[in-house]
Amino acid sequence: MGNKALPVLLLLRLFVIGFWASAYAANTFADSLSSSSQSPENIINIGLQLEPPNLDPTQGAAAAVDEIVYANVFEGLTAVAADGSIVPKLAKRWEISEDGQRYRFFLQDSVTFHDGTSFDAQDVKFSLERASATDSTNAQKTLFEPIQSVTVVSPYVVDVKLKRAVGSFLTHLAWGDAVMVGSESAQNNAANPVGTGPFVFSRWRRGVSIELRLNTSYWGSPVYLHGVNFNIVPDPTAAFASLMAGDIDGFPGYPAPENIQQFRDHSNFNVIVGSTEGETVLAINNAAPALDDIRVRQALNYAIDKQAIIDGAMFGYGQPIGSHFPPHHPSYLDLSDRYEHDVAKARSLLEQAGYSQGLELSLKLPPPSYARRSGEIIAAQLGAIGVNVSIENLEWSQWLSQVFTNKNFELTIVAHTEPLDLDIYARENYYFNYQSAEYKSLIAQLSVASDLTQRDLLFKQAQRKLSDDAVNVFLFQLPKLGVWSKNVEGVWANSPVQANDLTAAERTYLDGAEKRFAASKLTSIVAWILGLGLLLGIAYLAYQAGAAFVLRRFATITVTMVIATMVIFTLVEIAPGDPAQFMMGLNAEPQALAALRSEMGLDRSVGQRYFSWVGGVLKGDFGTSFTYQSPVSELLAERLQVSLPLAIYSIVLAIMLAIPLGLVSALRRGTAVGDVIMGSTQLGIAMPNFWIAILLVLTLGSGLRWFPVGGFPGWEAGLLPALHALTLPALALAIPQAAILVRIVRSALLDTMAEDYIRTARAKGLSQSEALKSHALRNAAIPVLTILGLQFSFLLAGGIIIENVFYLPGLGRLVFQAILQRDLIVVESVVLVLAFATVMIAFIVDLAYVAVDPRLRNPGLT
Amino acid sequence: MRSKLSFSFWFGAAVIGLVLLLALLSLVWTPYDVINLVDVGARLQSPSWQHLLGTDYLGRDVLSQIMVGARISILVAVVAIVLGVGLGVPLGLLAAAKGGWIDQCVMRGNDLVFAFPALILAILLTALLGPGVLNAIVAIGVFNIPVFARLTRGPALSLWSREFVLAARTAGKNKFRISLEHILPNISNLLVVNATIQFSLAIIAEAGLSYVGLGAQAPTPSWGRMLSESQTMISFAPWLALFPGGAIFLTVFALSLFGDGLRDFLDPKLGGMLDPKLGGTYPKNGGDKS
Repeated sequence: MGNKALPVLLLLRLFVIGFWASAYAANTFADSLSSSSQSPENIINIGLQLEPPNLDPTQGAAAAVDEIVYANVFEGLTAVAADGSIVPKLAKRWEISEDGQRYRFFLQDSVTFHDGTSFDAQDVKFSLERASATDSTNAQKTLFEPIQSVTVVSPYVVDVKLKRAVGSFLTHLAWGDAVMVGSESAQNNAANPVGTGPFVFSRWRRGVSIELRLNTSYWGSPVYLHGVNFNIVPDPTAAFASLMAGDIDGFPGYPAPENIQQFRDHSNFNVIVGSTEGETVLAINNAAPALDDIRVRQALNYAIDKQAIIDGAMFGYGQPIGSHFPPHHPSYLDLSDRYEHDVAKARSLLEQAGYSQGLELSLKLPPPSYARRSGEIIAAQLGAIGVNVSIENLEWSQWLSQVFTNKNFELTIVAHTEPLDLDIYARENYYFNYQSAEYKSLIAQLSVASDLTQRDLLFKQAQRKLSDDAVNVFLFQLPKLGVWSKNVEGVWANSPVQANDLTAAERTYLDGAEKRFAASKLTSIVAWILGLGLLLGIAYLAYQAGAAFVLRRFATITVTMVIATMVIFTLVEIAPGDPAQFMMGLNAEPQALAALRSEMGLDRSVGQRYFSWVGGVLKGDFGTSFTYQSPVSELLAERLQVSLPLAIYSIVLAIMLAIPLGLVSALRRGTAVGDVIMGSTQLGIAMPNFWIAILLVLTLGSGLRWFPVGGFPGWEAGLLPALHALTLPALALAIPQAAILVRIVRSALLDTMAEDYIRTARAKGLSQSEALKSHALRNAAIPVLTILGLQFSFLLAGGIIIENVFYLPGLGRLVFQAILQRDLIVVESVVLVLAFATVMIAFIVDLAYVAVDPRLRNPGLT
Repeated sequence: MRSKLSFSFWFGAAVIGLVLLLALLSLVWTPYDVINLVDVGARLQSPSWQHLLGTDYLGRDVLSQIMVGARISILVAVVAIVLGVGLGVPLGLLAAAKGGWIDQCVMRGNDLVFAFPALILAILLTALLGPGVLNAIVAIGVFNIPVFARLTRGPALSLWSREFVLAARTAGKNKFRISLEHILPNISNLLVVNATIQFSLAIIAEAGLSYVGLGAQAPTPSWGRMLSESQTMISFAPWLALFPGGAIFLTVFALSLFGDGLRDFLDPKLGGMLDPKLGGTYPKNGGDKS
């Protein structure tokens, strides 16, 4: 038997190298083909909290889309400037008729789209008609509803006729939802946006970055930057780390206010605290029992200490508000003290309303940290007036369906980031359930008023009305916490729209923008050879095991996988949450939703969807991700490039730690050294890997700065930087596994050392270490191999938490994000791939067994 | 001959006792009110006599939160194990007693569950069912069913060929009674030892689910969530990460010492075969494939 252990060890070696290889090869190969020789010098790296679901601002309401493409890739007829004013863009000027119902736009005449087609009046007609069509999927369709007709007067003059005068029509045209798209390219804007802006979409590395490059034939005034990389860094810890490490030049919306002071104290950073259009409100369901009583709503208003919330949840950042209106707007009316914190008054109002015994209310919270943190403080503050609040944390999709769409809530906290959105309180079916004829008439007047003084007056009346009626508890204006490296200038301090207009941004000096070198073709060739080696190794083992054995195992694997697909499909099928609703965002129109649902195939029967899924998978087609709008197989391939190497790296680390320690503890059994090793394995096993991760970050990461504490530079940055970034996560994964392995190695060795043949060898005069070397090690490798097989599939999947700690774009993060975004097809595919990997690794381990012990070929014994 | 209970067993037992005591105590008393005492003025205080383990960003006492968190961890782990034992052991007994297609079904069902990486499926389950303590229990418990079914079936099968079982059959006892009266008592030690192991794994699993936001929800304190909440504040408030992580570690460590001691005591010969780190299926590895 012993001589048969050699192929096992060989296989193990091939296995480790080969996996490296295949993952690495695909990437480096692709890169070597497409590598550009452009110098990276004038490219700015920007961190974003949220990855947009797609890049078409005219399809989804997700603000994350506008944050990337608005003003950079796409432009509208008008635009919002940094101070919030409306300025001409693709329309260089316009004329408005007396009655305010006819607009004549004179267009810029030398504009081309990024695909080379020219921009003219036809494109304006196309864009506006597409947005206002009955089957339009534009999430802000109401903005275009007043449009009656769009007429092309001449190639660069276009007339827009409205059904009625709309005072803010030019503002609406400046929204991201109203950008100009080309009739030839509009279809594909979700994945490949084609606009007229100064930057051209270059590449989207899902979960990692979206890259824009300079539009060399831009029609407008030239911009300073050669390119912009938007890096997706959702995790506050990783955001901190990447700024400190210089991987990212700036965060327009930094997610963790607790770190702002550190950045202020730091000489390399500018902190720009500005404002957004995000009124953060404790939204009240005005139709819910008890809450339909204005006295109860006023009691809630008196009970809440806004400053304590700003201090506790936002670490002091944020300005208290008293109505649904931004303080930086000229028509702002300061009502923040309208209900000054007064517990006694709140209690007496509750008493008057008949709730002297107290009240039970639920508070449903969406995921952002401002909401979750404020929620806990609010629960405590309402507790003080006898209102017992039960907190329910919802995922974004759940929040959209339960609270926003079905109005099944009592209290919730959310920031409304749309600019000047007072009209939502006048909407018939909006989730606040606020009904006021007086308010509706104010908004109706506002929508036709174009006189500035009159608008100012109406704005103020509307603000006061909302405050008087205590519709919601208006908490604070969401701050824009920008953290920028000192060498970046010309970025917006405020967010008059949810956008990052980079047309005026520049890097003043360049240091260390270097070091990236393309991976050589040689590496990819070596990687391919190693991958082939792995396959040959498996083929050799399979040949050894014999056709009968392999076929039998294949049959079992097939059955398991068929059942697995059914289980996965069923589980995902019964999941709550509507992916279409999620994609369309907050204010989506029902028809637009229905259109999207049918486009996504959600209106087909369960059976049809199952078979088309399985049928596709068999052909290697996993379908198209709803949120990423790209083939799932591509996403999987991208993510495996991180997860596989991470799993392999940690297995290698675990082996490197475990084999010597296991050997020593077996040979020195009963001595202090052996006891210490065995004791430490107890400790290692008891430590959750995410805690190890945090400890490693504290010590080797942010403490000693030996390793980056988050992020992944990509393999194209070179082998060493990539491995460097993977070291801490791999170590965190490896330590508990190594602790297990040490024990296995030790007991396997002790068992083999007790075997007769070792005793014989010793009796023949071999020393203990010689016997160990020539006989015991090989035999002891077998149980170790079993455990390694199990551990490998665990590590592949177990990275999910660690990948989240270190912000690594691997499979774990993909599946986690996909679950949160209700991207069911991605969830199904990842779980299926992981299940398949588990089964296959078990198969290979079985093959290795048979190679060692031919008796196992006998079916009776498997 | 039975071996003595070791020092590490008593050490483990003492720590577990302490954790249990603190958890029980938290039902009636904690140093500070956890749910309602948000005291923004007293936030982010380092450990002091007033707040032995410091306060978090909302001014809540960390020690009090850890005490209440212990309750959640223990509750989830206990119920998950009860679920696993309650359904898994009867299934294993049934498979061993009946054999044939029932056995095949049970074992193939097992294979299927083991084909999924446990943590991914637990996360999938809680994500689909919605986050919360109850669903965390279900997600963790579901994986303990095949673990215990498998643990029961193997030894039970070998017991069925033993003389005393044969004797019982000749005496006319039916399979149900034999399973209950002869098989179960003979594998109970093994089950008890493995239950402590699965228990510690369930605690880690619960912490992991809470850490990614799928376990106990705010404002209910839980160790995993305390860890994830503290992560951005590590540089200026390291105690927020050290103490809850330490609590998980200490509990699991104590359980592991306790389990080893118990195994050595109950059956010294079980040694290698029952090594907890091999048999433990959740979430450290995918289970022992046979």
